[in-house]
Amino acid sequence: MTEQAITAKLPSNGPTWSRYRYPESLYRFGTLLVVVLFLGYSLHFLNVDIAKLIGALGRLVGVVSDRYYPPDLEYVLDRGYLAAILDTLQMSFLGSFAGVCLAVPLAWFSAGNVTPHRVMFPVGRLGVISCRAIHETIWTILFVSVLGFGMLAGVSALTMFCIGFAGKLFADEIEAIDMGPVEAMQSAGANPLQVFLFAVVPQVRVAFTGIAIYTWDVAFRAATVVGFFGGGGMGWYLKRNVQQLENLRVAAIILSIIAMVLIAEFLSGYLRSAVNRAK
Amino acid sequence: MASLDVNPAAISLQADLRRRRFTKMGLIWLAVLLFIGWCVSGTIIADTDWSRIGGRSGVLASIGRYLTLDIGLFPELIIPTLETFMMACVGTVLGCFFSLPVAWLGAANVTPSKTILYPIGRFLMVLSRSVHEIVWALIFVSAVGLGALPGILAIAMRSVGFISKITAEAIENIDAKPVEAIRAVGGNQFQVMYYGILPQIYPVVLATVIFEWDINIRRSAVMGLVGAGGLGLLFFRQMNSFNYGGVSMVILAILLLIVLGEVISHYLRKAVI
Repeated sequence: MTEQAITAKLPSNGPTWSRYRYPESLYRFGTLLVVVLFLGYSLHFLNVDIAKLIGALGRLVGVVSDRYYPPDLEYVLDRGYLAAILDTLQMSFLGSFAGVCLAVPLAWFSAGNVTPHRVMFPVGRLGVISCRAIHETIWTILFVSVLGFGMLAGVSALTMFCIGFAGKLFADEIEAIDMGPVEAMQSAGANPLQVFLFAVVPQVRVAFTGIAIYTWDVAFRAATVVGFFGGGGMGWYLKRNVQQLENLRVAAIILSIIAMVLIAEFLSGYLRSAVNRAK
Repeated sequence: MASLDVNPAAISLQADLRRRRFTKMGLIWLAVLLFIGWCVSGTIIADTDWSRIGGRSGVLASIGRYLTLDIGLFPELIIPTLETFMMACVGTVLGCFFSLPVAWLGAANVTPSKTILYPIGRFLMVLSRSVHEIVWALIFVSAVGLGALPGILAIAMRSVGFISKITAEAIENIDAKPVEAIRAVGGNQFQVMYYGILPQIYPVVLATVIFEWDINIRRSAVMGLVGAGGLGLLFFRQMNSFNYGGVSMVILAILLLIVLGEVISHYLRKAVI
């Protein structure tokens, strides 16, 4: 069959194929238009210079190579700074330990399926949501204003952050359990605490351990900056050098933060896979 | 009745296993607690100046200062709240644009060069996630000056890691058949991507972007602390002028905005999936 024969067989203006049919394509187009208009208006409202926005990444490269290169690596190998890294590590451990310990009961209250009482449910939910909603730096500033500068404020802020972070993941995990054991214990007359300890905990133990390790990993990332607002650790060095415009030292500190975060991430990945294997 | 006979050896073996597991868990807990004790003595006990805090009454007095709300601040809150919201939206969209090439480089099955570009893509993902948003904002403030722009860029850079990682994983897990089919009927590279890959990863990516947007509202509320506008700047000013009632008002505004964002993202995610 020749090409002309095939084209002759097709209707001249038949339906052309398209991925979306008429009403759906209109909705999609409308949504896209609204989103684009909103973004354009936002750029206008925020006084963003489009030319600057387009050239920003190029400028970033220029600024980094101009002002931040070469990093002053001797500064971060100094004894005082290494002690600050250790402080940061200790803060992140304490914050995540306290946060995880407090998050377990809150998650129990805020899990819809095993919550001990109707009144406890909103209490748990509200506690977790308000810890989550406020950024760790704001928690740090608040705690510094109450407890003074130092690591106590940093640890408290990290604790709040970890309650919010771990509490939500814990509650999600509890809500996904098998309800069989829970119902069995309830029908045998167990009180809510017994149900939690003997029907819920055995099912979520391994997942909780993994989440706790992950929480530490994320808390360490947050711990690198709580010092910036007076919480102690590496962030304090960052703040001092940023304010003194010691750009080469700032570059070295940022590099050291990246290196430490990478080590923490590797460690937490290893520990989590070890926990999963030992289950 | 033979099946009901219990083997004493099996019972003792089980008891032995249980005892061994118990000892192991006990040792792990002991190690964790000792470690925590070392951390407490190293940081909190050594570093805290208890006399300066002023005991329980001092702490309660400092907390009490926050409990009187400064209602008069309300009209000044509206524009920064809008700014914060818009910064989060624009930052998330910009982050999506940045993550497209990163995900393309970092997905093992579509990357143009597995030896050079794939590790670069993976490295960019890790870099973006390991630098905290405050640090990104500091870098961008020094690169493009004060204002909303460094905040937007910081949020975008920070979002790249998560979005591109999930996108790359989604691309790696796609079904190869539609791609082959489109290639077999003569589709070019763009058509393969648009009709073969995109429809498969689209729900996952969109859900991730909505999740990231929700987190970005939180992040954009603190960008002002390092000079990038929004609610953070107002918070910083209220804090520096010791207007604690105003600080509480700003925090309430942040809470409201975030609850709103959470509700919107809940419904959007339901609509997408």
